[in-house]
Amino acid sequence: MAGSRTGRERSRRAERVALPLAGLATAALLVVMLYYPVGTVLVEAVTRDGAPSLAPLLDVLRDPFYVGALAGAVRDPAGVPAGVVAWVATSVADVLTALAAVPGAVLAPDRSGLDALAAAWATFVGVFPPFGLFGFTAWQALLSTLASLALGLPGAYVLARFEFPGRRTLQSLTAVPFVLPSIMVAVGFVAAFGTNGPLNDLLRALGLPTVDLLFSLEIIVLAHAFYNAPLVTRVVAAAWESVDARAVETARSLGASPLRAFRDVVAPQLAPAVATGALLTFIFTFMSFPIVLALGGLKLATVEVWLYDRVQQLALTEAAALAVLETIVSLGLTYAYLRYEDAASRGDRVASPLEREPLVGLDAKRLALVGYALVVGLVFVLPLVSMLVASVTGPNGLTTRYYDFLLQREATAATSQTKPGVAVRNSLLFGAGTLALSVPMGLVLALASLREGVASRLVGVAAMAPFAVSGVVVGLGMLQGLVFGVDVFGTRLAVGGPVAIVAAHAVGAYPFVVRNVSPLLGGLDRRLVESARALGATRVRALVDIEVPLVMPGIAAGAAFAFAISIGEFDSTVILAEGSNAYTMPVAVERFLTDRTLGPATAMGSVLLVVTAASFVVIDRAGGRYRE
Amino acid sequence: MSSLTLDGLVKRYAGTTALDDVSLEVRDGEFFTLVGPSGCGKTTTLRCVAGFETPDAGEVLFGGNSVVGVPPEERDVGVVFQQYALFPHMSVAENVAYGLRFADDPPDREERVADLLNLVGLKGFEGREPSALSGGQQQRVALARALAPEPDLLLLDEPMSALDARLRERLRREVREIQTELGVTTIYVTHDQAEALAVSDRVAVMAEGHVEQVGTPEAVYREPATRFVAEFVGENNVFEGVVRDGRVDVEGERFELPAPDGRTTFCVRPEAMQVDGGRNRLTATVEYAEFLGEAVRVGLSWRGHDLVVRTGSVPEREELVVGFDPEDAVVVE
Repeated sequence: MAGSRTGRERSRRAERVALPLAGLATAALLVVMLYYPVGTVLVEAVTRDGAPSLAPLLDVLRDPFYVGALAGAVRDPAGVPAGVVAWVATSVADVLTALAAVPGAVLAPDRSGLDALAAAWATFVGVFPPFGLFGFTAWQALLSTLASLALGLPGAYVLARFEFPGRRTLQSLTAVPFVLPSIMVAVGFVAAFGTNGPLNDLLRALGLPTVDLLFSLEIIVLAHAFYNAPLVTRVVAAAWESVDARAVETARSLGASPLRAFRDVVAPQLAPAVATGALLTFIFTFMSFPIVLALGGLKLATVEVWLYDRVQQLALTEAAALAVLETIVSLGLTYAYLRYEDAASRGDRVASPLEREPLVGLDAKRLALVGYALVVGLVFVLPLVSMLVASVTGPNGLTTRYYDFLLQREATAATSQTKPGVAVRNSLLFGAGTLALSVPMGLVLALASLREGVASRLVGVAAMAPFAVSGVVVGLGMLQGLVFGVDVFGTRLAVGGPVAIVAAHAVGAYPFVVRNVSPLLGGLDRRLVESARALGATRVRALVDIEVPLVMPGIAAGAAFAFAISIGEFDSTVILAEGSNAYTMPVAVERFLTDRTLGPATAMGSVLLVVTAASFVVIDRAGGRYRE
Repeated sequence: MSSLTLDGLVKRYAGTTALDDVSLEVRDGEFFTLVGPSGCGKTTTLRCVAGFETPDAGEVLFGGNSVVGVPPEERDVGVVFQQYALFPHMSVAENVAYGLRFADDPPDREERVADLLNLVGLKGFEGREPSALSGGQQQRVALARALAPEPDLLLLDEPMSALDARLRERLRREVREIQTELGVTTIYVTHDQAEALAVSDRVAVMAEGHVEQVGTPEAVYREPATRFVAEFVGENNVFEGVVRDGRVDVEGERFELPAPDGRTTFCVRPEAMQVDGGRNRLTATVEYAEFLGEAVRVGLSWRGHDLVVRTGSVPEREELVVGFDPEDAVVVE
């Protein structure tokens, strides 16, 4: 009896220190996995010959290649006013010329009008001075954001305002593109829109001129829209669903027309969601890497791709300087996003949401939706289907040769070559490791970020830092800091590539756990935990007995995201797996892509698609048991 | 069972002082109520007792032993909240039995759960889900859950506020009966002064983070120590004036009042005001009359002051002469 009581005492003591220990462990992991490695890279940008110096940063800022017209301004700040005046003087004339050409072009009955319009547009755009690599990166991010809005907003309208069979499924599907491995999507886009892809086949069959989209800005923007339009759809549809029907009815009863009620009541409530979606899209596309690398190459390099190239060329100081500047931009945007999201976040579920219309019927509105559905099919379905089809289609019709190639590679490849089976095994192992690390970390950080006070707000921001730090930089930092090894008290500590890869994946994945768990955890009545504690439960017991079961759906969703992110992660893996056997499926896709035909890459991509989809469904289902 | 002592509790939140030197003595087995308007610090006091908040200064003593720094799970308190806070993923029986997991000598679980559900009038509800219960039933489960580990101290934080008036009255009688039967020291927090007067052994009236008065319900009602207590507990007519030689000058009218010379504040209950009676009389304008059933509540205006009188019938005149006897006037701080 007495023995069991001391045993109970001991376990309670253990429980009492468990949470602080978990917090410390999480902080330590973050330092080792994120802050220290990234720090080692960034520090290089502000030192020269071992002494602190801004020279590397200034070198980049003074280089027209990177910042275009701004380089002059950095070199000679005093000359800015004169420069601006001169620019305005010359460009006003150009803009006037361009505008003058517009009426004639619009009235022209034939194709020449279009050409004239295009020329006027070119003149207008030509007015703006080039802003170099950073300017181009921002420009493609802006175009991608606009494309994502154009593609995503009608989707939000359909999901929020219409009722039809499969609506909920469609709504869930909008989460999918986000976790699809980007390198695979790139392969899909090459397969769909390449010279011999189905799009050009169709154009040829119709007797129309073919288009060459590969290595063009258009295909990059389209692929970015593939990723981010569903995000816009989700965010805006959620806001639309939370519009209170009574507010609209009140406006109508006060004499507003339906359109007017939309403008005055609905639109202001959607605006924050649209802005949130746009800002997020801009951040993601500003830092996008594999899409641009695979679909644009160095010709259309963004900061991130160029950064990767500098790493490959071992120009590490320049890479570090780029990384610092990129991180400043993306951190600023992320901060703006978090502030904005905070201000725009809505509280309770609406008592009376707007009634949905049935989708059946035929009118102008619904015809337009049919057109929209075709575009959706073209952008979302065609690339994936094309990849699957291309993987079983050779020059002479159906074939299994690409999968045979994979099998054969598996059986006979030299150790230095990429084996598909090893890639699959690595991906699944790393995915499991990522789950084991990121779920507890995410849970601890979600708990910490919900406490009151300045410290917890800092935790909240720090937790989101991986969104703002480039994957290439994380990978590079790990390579330098952990894989090459560090001296600690005279002992050289180094970790193997696989451990570093799991760490890098966990860094990318845990924010998704935090974001899925925090809202549920924050929505729990704190009195539940207080009741448990008054009844004798330690803080950890209350977490295990009460909070975890109640937020299980969020944990499961976060875990599914974490696993899928690990499976698809490319940016840091490609750096850390260089020259080792720790390559994953996306890295294998990229390696096969560099071969002469698209076949093996599409086959490997199809394997990747199946594994990603299966694991996402399995984990989400496992957690779904806890759902109502 | 335990007595409770609070000595000089101070709690500050970012710039505001929630508790300002709160000291109280709660006797073993007592039903003690903290009552006051929202924001007066009564819930914060309770949370310091439970261990959910750590006071910035002062002592919390259970049976003479300090518990500051002791986590809530080690304090042997039972807590019932206004929002019930039942664990939604557990059945009624699992909710009630939850605290038994941590008992040093766990009693037979099923027997104890059955006993407690019987005690709160929910016999046979073991297998139900909390979401399938009414508000009153949920509150009973919450009470049974808090009592299951036999706490030294039962803390009730506005437990009736979410219920309708009739149910509230019935449940508070039941809670009081159970408390008397078990003899558990109980701290009850409410903003409803009528409820406080109805159930408590003693009451502490709180305002703006400090205790205004502690006493039996009768003492607090009949002899309010401060103007705040006089106006918060029941209704009161408050007068201010200057006393000289046993007479007080209020707005130029002189009333008989046995009080020491100087500035004074005194009050007279509406039921002590007599129409056309009393030794101190005044003439006031009728503003409104409310028929309450057993009485009529008449609102009067007298030289810029609002007065309230309880009478037997609705007045027919626009002007009313009302008065009070000096013995019915209570001088307050």
